[in-house]
Amino acid sequence: MQIRPILAALRSHKTAVTLLVLEIALTMAILGNLVFIVYGTLQRSRTPTGVAEGQIGLIQSIGVIGEDNPGTVGDNIALLQRVPGVVAATFGGPPLWYDSASNAFLDPDRQHRVARMYEFTGGQGLSRTLGLHLVEGHDLQPEDLPDASQWGSVKEVPALITRALAAKLFPGGRALGQRFYDGTSAVRVQGVVDHLRAEITGRPDDDYSVVIEYRVGAQDMGGGFMIRSEPGRLEPTLLAAAAALQKANPGHVQNKVYTMAELRERYFRSDLATGRMLVAILLILLVVTALGVSGLASFWVQQRRRQIGMRRALGATRGDILRYFQAENFLIVTAGVVLGAVFAFALNLFLMHRFELARLPTGYLAVGALVLWALGQLAVLGPALRAAAVPPVVATRSV
Amino acid sequence: MMLGYYLDLALRSLRRTPILTGLMVLAIGLGIGASMTMVTVLHVMTDDPLPGRSAHLYTPHLDPLPLDYRQGGDGPDPSDNLTWPDAQALLKAHRAARQAAMAGGSLLVHPERVDLRPFYADGRYTTADFFAMFGVTLKRGGGWNEADDATGAHVVVLGETLAQKLYGSADAVGKTVRLGDKDFRVVGVVADWAPLPMFYADASAKRYSDADQFFLPLSAAMELKLDVNGNFSSWGDDHAETRMTSPTMSWLQFWVQLDTPSQARAYRQYLVDYSAGQKALGRFQRPPGDAKLYGLMDWLAHENLVPDDVRLQLWLALGFLLVCMLNIVALLLAKFLRRSGELSVRRALGARRLDIFVQLGSESALIGVAGGVLGLAIAQIGLWSVRHRPDDYARLAQMDVSMLLGTLALAVLASVLAGVLPAWRACQVAPALQLKAQ
Repeated sequence: MQIRPILAALRSHKTAVTLLVLEIALTMAILGNLVFIVYGTLQRSRTPTGVAEGQIGLIQSIGVIGEDNPGTVGDNIALLQRVPGVVAATFGGPPLWYDSASNAFLDPDRQHRVARMYEFTGGQGLSRTLGLHLVEGHDLQPEDLPDASQWGSVKEVPALITRALAAKLFPGGRALGQRFYDGTSAVRVQGVVDHLRAEITGRPDDDYSVVIEYRVGAQDMGGGFMIRSEPGRLEPTLLAAAAALQKANPGHVQNKVYTMAELRERYFRSDLATGRMLVAILLILLVVTALGVSGLASFWVQQRRRQIGMRRALGATRGDILRYFQAENFLIVTAGVVLGAVFAFALNLFLMHRFELARLPTGYLAVGALVLWALGQLAVLGPALRAAAVPPVVATRSV
Repeated sequence: MMLGYYLDLALRSLRRTPILTGLMVLAIGLGIGASMTMVTVLHVMTDDPLPGRSAHLYTPHLDPLPLDYRQGGDGPDPSDNLTWPDAQALLKAHRAARQAAMAGGSLLVHPERVDLRPFYADGRYTTADFFAMFGVTLKRGGGWNEADDATGAHVVVLGETLAQKLYGSADAVGKTVRLGDKDFRVVGVVADWAPLPMFYADASAKRYSDADQFFLPLSAAMELKLDVNGNFSSWGDDHAETRMTSPTMSWLQFWVQLDTPSQARAYRQYLVDYSAGQKALGRFQRPPGDAKLYGLMDWLAHENLVPDDVRLQLWLALGFLLVCMLNIVALLLAKFLRRSGELSVRRALGARRLDIFVQLGSESALIGVAGGVLGLAIAQIGLWSVRHRPDDYARLAQMDVSMLLGTLALAVLASVLAGVLPAWRACQVAPALQLKAQ
C-alpha cells in the first residue's frame, strides 16, 4: 500500500481534512473523559461499605409528641432479637443513611484537626449488628460501655476504628489502646476493623470511621433500629421485625423501613441517572462522528469516480480501491487520535480544576483510539465498497 | 427580492442530496437538542424566584464569629445565618420598609378527621411582615400583626393544600389546628407558596422541591420550643436550654425590603454601624466592614445552588454541539465545492460574490431551521428524561416560550455560522473558469 498518493490526494482537500481531524480529536477528548467519569461512578457504586450488606435492615421509628409509648429502647432491642431470623439487633443507623462527619483531634484542646471522620454511635451490639470484621484488638465489651444517660458528658469512651483511620491518626504506630478526641469526649481505641464506609464519595476519608456503643435501656427513644438477619432471609425477617416493633410501640410512627440494598440504590440513584445520561450523549456523539466521516467519504467517492475508473482501467483491482479508501480513513483518524490525546488531557485538566475530577489515566486514551479507529473503518466501509464497485468503463465517459 | 429565489434554489439543492441533507439536519438537531436540554435545566435553576420583587429584597449578613474561629469539616459558613439577639435587634431597629426573621420547622399535624393519621408538614416560623414583603397571596383571612409577634400569639396561616386536606371545602379561618402538641387558631389561608428556588430557606433545605405548608409566629415557636430545621452553628459554650437565644449560635434567616438604591445604601451603613457597636461592646471581634447586604439574585449566586453535575453536563453538551458543528462545516464544504461548476456559471452570468455567498448562506439557514425543529423535539425527550431523575430540581425541567424560540434561533445561528467558511470558499470560484475544464 502506497501512502504517498493518498497524502497527495488529501492535500487537495486541506480544509475538509482539517475539519474532520478536528472533529475526531474533539470526539476523542470527550469520549476519553466521559468514559472515565462514568466508569468512576460505576466503580463507586460497587464499593462495599464493609458491613454485612445483604443481611442488614433498618426500621426508622419516630415518637409522636403527646402520645404515650410503653416501649423502651432496651425492650425494643430485646424484642427485635426475639424475632425469628434475627441474628443481632440494636439502636443505631447503618452506612449510607444520614451520616455526618465530625472532627478527630490528637490534642485534648482540640486545636489541630487530624482527620474528618464518621461516628457510628448506637446501642450495645452495634458492631455485631453491622457485622464488622475485626482485624486487631477485641470487640467492645458490654461491661465497658458508658450508659446512655451519660451521653454527651462521659469523659472517655471505648471504640472501634477502621484500619484507614488508625493509619491516619497513628501513622506507623500501633493504634490499640491509644486515645484521640472527638467533639465531646476522649476516644480509646479498643479494636480495629478492616472497613466501614459511611459514605462512598471516592475520597479516602470515606473509610475513616469510628464505632461507639452506649448501653441503652429504659429510655423511650425513637430513631433507627437495625437488624442483621440470617443470610438470605432479610426481607421476610425485616417485615416481621417492623410489624413487631410497631405493635410494641403504638405511639411511634414508622417512617421508613429499608434494606441495606435499598439504601444503596437510593444513595446512588442520582449518580447512576447522570451516568446513563452521559452514556446517551456519548453514543449519540459517536453516531454523529461516524455519520460525518461516512458523509464526507461518500462525497469524495462521488467526486473521484472518474479517477477511480481510470485506476481500474489501468489495472487496479477492486481490493486496491477498497484498501485505498480504508487507508485514507486510517490516516485521517490517526491524525485525529494524536491531536485528540492532547485535547483529552487539556479537557481533563479543565475538569480537574473545575469539578475536582481525578487525572485521566492513559489507558482510557488507548481505548478511545481503538474505538475511533474501529468506528472510522466501519463508517468508511459503505462508501469504500461503492468506490470499489465503480466499473473501469467510467474512465472513458465524460461526466 | 432575491431571497425568495435563493430559498427556492436552496430547497432544490437540498432535495438533490437527501441523505447528506438528512445527515446535516440530524447533526444540528442532536447537537442543539442535547445542549438546549442542559441550558434549559440551568436556566430554570438560576431563574428569578420572585420576578418584579426580587430587585427590592435583600438579606443582611453579620460576622459575629471570633477572630480565631476556623471552619471545621465541610459544613456551611456559620455567618450565613443570624443569631437570635442580632435578628431581634435588626427587627426592632425597623430600618427597612419591611423586615422578617424566619426559620424552617417540621411539625406533626393532628387532623380532626378520623380517617387521617397524623402526618408531618413543613412550615416556616416567621414575623408579621413576611407575607406583604414576599407578596404571598392571601386567599382568606390575613396574616398576623406585630402585636401578635410581641405576645407570641398561637395563630397560624395555612397553605391552601394543607387547609383543603384538613378541612375540605369548609372555611379554615377561625378553626383550631393541632400542630406538634399545641393548638393554633387559623387566621388566614394563602395560595400555595413555593418560589423556585426557595431562596429564603437555609442551606439544609431542598430548595427546588420543598414548600412551606404553614406559617406561624417565630415568637410562638420559641415560647413553645418547637423543633427547628436547618443548620445550627455554634461557636461558644451553649447550654441546651438557652442555646436558641444564645449570642454565639446562628440559625435564623433574615430578609428586608428596600425600595430604592439609597435605602439599600443606608441599610448597609446601618449594618456596619451595628457591627461597630457590637464590636465596641466586645461581642464582635471582626472588622465591622465585614457586614454584608446581599440582593436576592446575588445571594443565590453566592449560595451556588446549581450542582456540579449539571454544570458538567452543560459543558459536555456544548462540546457535543461543537463536534456537530464541525461535522456540518465539513459536509457543507464538500457539498458547496462540488457545485463549483454551477456557481461559476452563475458568476459568469453576472452574479456577484456576495450573491453567491447569500445564496449558500440561505441554504445553511434552511438546514438550521429544519435542525432547530428536530432539536426542539430532541430537547423535549431530553427534558423528559431529566424530569425522571431522582434529583431535587428534576420536576422543573420544562421549556418556556423564550427557551423554545431561543432553541430555534441557536440552531439557525449555528448552521449559518457553520456555513460561513464553506460559502466563502465556494464564492471564491472564478467566473466560467470551471466551465472550460469540462
